[in-house]
Amino acid sequence: MSDFPRRAVLGGSGLAVATALTAGWPRLTGRDIPGRGKDELKVALLGSAQDAAARQKLVAAFSRLHPDIPVRVQAIQGADWSDFFAKILTLVAAGTPPDVVMVATEGTQLFASRLAEPLDRFVKRDDVEMKDFFDDVHPALIESFMYEGSLYQLPVDFNAANMYMNLNTLRSAGLERPAEDWTNEDFVRMLRGLRKSGKGGQVPFYWNNRLWGGVVPWLYANDTSFLTEEKAPGGDWLWSRYYADAKSGQERGGGYRWRGSNATDPKVTEVYEFLRRIVAEGLGSSPSQGGGNQLVGQFASGKIGFTPAGGYWVQGLHEAKMPGSAFDVQFFPRWRTQRHQFGAAGYAMMKTSQRKDQAWEWIKFCASREGLRLSIPTPNTTPVRRSMVNEALYRGTGPAHWKVFYDTLDKFPTTGPIPAPPQQAAVETALIKNTLGAVTGPAKGVEPALRRLDADLDRALRSTT
Amino acid sequence: MTTTTPPAQHDSLPTVRQGTEDSRSHRQKRWLQILFLAPTVIGLALFTVVPIVASLLLAFFRWDVIGDPEFVGLDNFASLGSDPTLRVAFTNTVLFVVIAVVLQLAVALALAVMVMSKMPNWLRSFLRSALFFPLVLSASSVSIVMAYLFNQDFGLVNKVLNGIGVESVPWLTSDWAAPIVVVLVYVWQNFGFSFLLFLGGLAAIPRDVYEAAAIDGATGWRRFRQITLPLLSPTTLVASVMAIIAALQIFDQPYVLTRGGPGDSTRTVVMVIYENAFQQLNFGRASALGIVLTLVIMAVTAVQFRLSRRFVFYS
Repeated sequence: MSDFPRRAVLGGSGLAVATALTAGWPRLTGRDIPGRGKDELKVALLGSAQDAAARQKLVAAFSRLHPDIPVRVQAIQGADWSDFFAKILTLVAAGTPPDVVMVATEGTQLFASRLAEPLDRFVKRDDVEMKDFFDDVHPALIESFMYEGSLYQLPVDFNAANMYMNLNTLRSAGLERPAEDWTNEDFVRMLRGLRKSGKGGQVPFYWNNRLWGGVVPWLYANDTSFLTEEKAPGGDWLWSRYYADAKSGQERGGGYRWRGSNATDPKVTEVYEFLRRIVAEGLGSSPSQGGGNQLVGQFASGKIGFTPAGGYWVQGLHEAKMPGSAFDVQFFPRWRTQRHQFGAAGYAMMKTSQRKDQAWEWIKFCASREGLRLSIPTPNTTPVRRSMVNEALYRGTGPAHWKVFYDTLDKFPTTGPIPAPPQQAAVETALIKNTLGAVTGPAKGVEPALRRLDADLDRALRSTT
Repeated sequence: MTTTTPPAQHDSLPTVRQGTEDSRSHRQKRWLQILFLAPTVIGLALFTVVPIVASLLLAFFRWDVIGDPEFVGLDNFASLGSDPTLRVAFTNTVLFVVIAVVLQLAVALALAVMVMSKMPNWLRSFLRSALFFPLVLSASSVSIVMAYLFNQDFGLVNKVLNGIGVESVPWLTSDWAAPIVVVLVYVWQNFGFSFLLFLGGLAAIPRDVYEAAAIDGATGWRRFRQITLPLLSPTTLVASVMAIIAALQIFDQPYVLTRGGPGDSTRTVVMVIYENAFQQLNFGRASALGIVLTLVIMAVTAVQFRLSRRFVFYS
């Protein structure tokens, strides 16, 4: 110790601390976070760092077109869209909001009502380019991104709740791929057939308890929903300009309004009772919390007969080594109607953005053919442009009837988005928490569960403006 | 005249100089203390005290992040009483705390006693690490894996049960089984901390007390009951206080496994706080509920310390 006087030790320690602070200053102050403090267009999307990296080709192509607009893609991880939106709100509260955010149908009205900039003036300004886009995109997708007469997002991808079937499982039960206009009762008969022939551990119908692909497709098929549905006035500026000749563009409005609970509608009760019977008979799983992706492995290994999923499942099954000839897809079974449920996603411009013109260029580019080709190179979702849902996209992955994905919109033009008012997260919680009790208990438990759902939905819809 | 001053002056000078040096050294030490404490104090102030104060203030406002906060007085607190979901969540949380903490302490103590018993050193080291390991895993990751294991149709747990002739159990989709799974997953992941505390406590009990008891003819169970448990009571107090505080804040496991369902059967108070803040965008109400939960935790801890005077034996 005598060789190291106290002052030297203290001085050395001070120097070490100062060096550490200097070296670590960028980390301590967050300056080393990519893009922090730089004059770049910040684009936030739900996903991992790998998802952000996967978009580098998109960013590079955009930069070639707009070398004056530097772009930084920020991947924000979340368990689901609600989680992602909560994190975006945290960024807003922290004073570091992104300029552009990838928003799914679940968050469209939340963003439109509070955070997003209407795109109307930009669309009108770039009329020619927009005409090319709208000509190629089904109006149902556009309408789902309208709120109170204004357009808030350009959709880039969507997924309708179609029915996937394991062909090997069907064949071993002596069943054929169902017809396009099959009914819910046909569906039950097929489930019974699968159950009869199936080995232990096989689930004829697997479904999850969630907003997309849970109970809602059945409600839509039965011409009802758990929320009341209206159309807002307005939107003529868009429909008359871009969809005047299209039959499917008629009777469109200024976006959806979901303002009240519809849980006590007898048709809703009918659907819950139908699903309760399926579960009670052992034809369907007791729906648990979770996304569809966890099922890919089970489906590929032949343990599931049917499950609702969209075009996004094709790539997952391909990666699980399931050949396209081993599975297929069909429209959702018909009940009172054959209306389907879909969810879409697209970029929204933040009201707070100081780079609105640049943000619009990004939004427009991502919806262009080149943008979609670069961001959706594999069938891990369904592109919104009809011309891009083609043989080339599904070659080598299947399924044989991939046309079902876009035909869902073309053949059933009333097909609608997930009911997602600005209070979507609270609404979804209410739906999920009451659905399980209704479909897993005795028949007499259905109505009380739906009354609870009704009360919870009322509270959720009143909870925020 | 000449005899009066010199000795005294002579003596006093060094005394004054000594005092000045002491005082300077004392000041230097104080500055050093401040310097070394500063990072922690600044961190605490920024990341603990400021959020606490902000949360206290926010509880009197309605704020949705995007707009300006609106003063609502005690409305946020008053509205808590009329929330049926919160009543259920509070009951769930209390039940969960009672069952999970008792199980956690019992498992931790039993395993700590087992590890401290006669066994090869390598096995003891292995068990110590293996049993502590779940605690270092992220609760969300553990819950995701457990959701697969407890899946009714494809989960390993039901496969094992089927193998011995038991029918599949709807672990995560029935309101009686889901709370059990949440408790089990929580206890499995968290008993490691209490286990570590008990290991320390057991190691601190003097061997000679056991030897004396053995000479007096005390059996193993009697030694455990009358020596181990009383001498371990200070550790048990600390372990139970920590376990109760942690259990009252349970969120990750029920959120990932069941999202509070089926129905509200696994909804907890912290989950309601999260829903109020990030789903209903009512940060004021969430803050009010956070304050109430803090007060409950403080009250429970105070009661525990009060009761400890009767039950804790300090040797």
